Amino acid sequence: MQQGGGSGKEVTWEDQQNINKFGRLNNRFHELEDEIKIAKETNDNLEDASNELILTDEEVVRFQIGEVFAHVPKDEVETRIEQMKEVTGKNLEKLEEEKDSVLAQMAELKKILYGKFGESINLEED
Amino acid sequence: MASSSSTAVETTTERRGIPGAQFVEDVETYLTQSGLDVNSSLSFLQERLQQYKLVEMKLLAQQRDLQAKIPDIEKCLDVVAILQAKKGTGEPLIADFEVSEGIYSQARIEDAGSVCLWLGANVMLEYSREEATALLQKNLDNAKASLEVLFADLQFLRDQVTITQVTIARVYNWDVHQKRRMREAVTAEKD
Repeated sequence: MQQGGGSGKEVTWEDQQNINKFGRLNNRFHELEDEIKIAKETNDNLEDASNELILTDEEVVRFQIGEVFAHVPKDEVETRIEQMKEVTGKNLEKLEEEKDSVLAQMAELKKILYGKFGESINLEED
Repeated sequence: MASSSSTAVETTTERRGIPGAQFVEDVETYLTQSGLDVNSSLSFLQERLQQYKLVEMKLLAQQRDLQAKIPDIEKCLDVVAILQAKKGTGEPLIADFEVSEGIYSQARIEDAGSVCLWLGANVMLEYSREEATALLQKNLDNAKASLEVLFADLQFLRDQVTITQVTIARVYNWDVHQKRRMREAVTAEKD
């Protein structure tokens, strides 16, 4: 985000605060994208795990808890995986919602700032 | 905000040792008030920006450490929780653990009332399961609280960086504007 030209338009404190807010939202947007990627991966892994579980015919499954693999009966593992899938699913939903809200706020600020500064300000990703 | 365009607003606040960036209402007044010419004030602002960048690196490193610590603590809590769950059934917990890379061994964990927690610095203490859960939970809460404070610090810092960058751009633009006006005045005189 840079400013160019010598147009001489003055920047008020309110403008500065809008610019700051835009910067913060932009950072948060990138963080959210990373977090969403990780949450999607975890979700996929859990999906694969529960598919594998259906295919296996062993009664006892080695389930990772902390750093060790505990011998857990298959049914319990199924329940645990379902719970974990629910938690990651909800988390993913929350992250997506926050991302949409951040994007909407950024669009609003873009309108305001481009409205005042026009060519003198650049709010796009480089 | 009813402020005439000839006052530079003093909005410097400090946060945990990070100096705030002064917001400039009017470039001309800012330059006359500080008594600096354009180049000196630009280099001063650039220097400030570098200092902010250094602090940002430090804070980001701290944030990464904390973010790595939190899953560790959560894993420990999981293990203690499953030991707690097994207590009721009376049967031992059989687990495979890593002896060395790629080599696993089986362990039978009998119903134990206590766990040992590694506290760091080659110190390991034995705790009852409840105490262990309480300690781990407290550590987790502290880590999460520190992370939040760190996050707020980073936001404050980034705002100051943005303000400083905008001020640099405005001082530079003002200078370009001035030079252009003076050139026009000179050419106008010549005619």
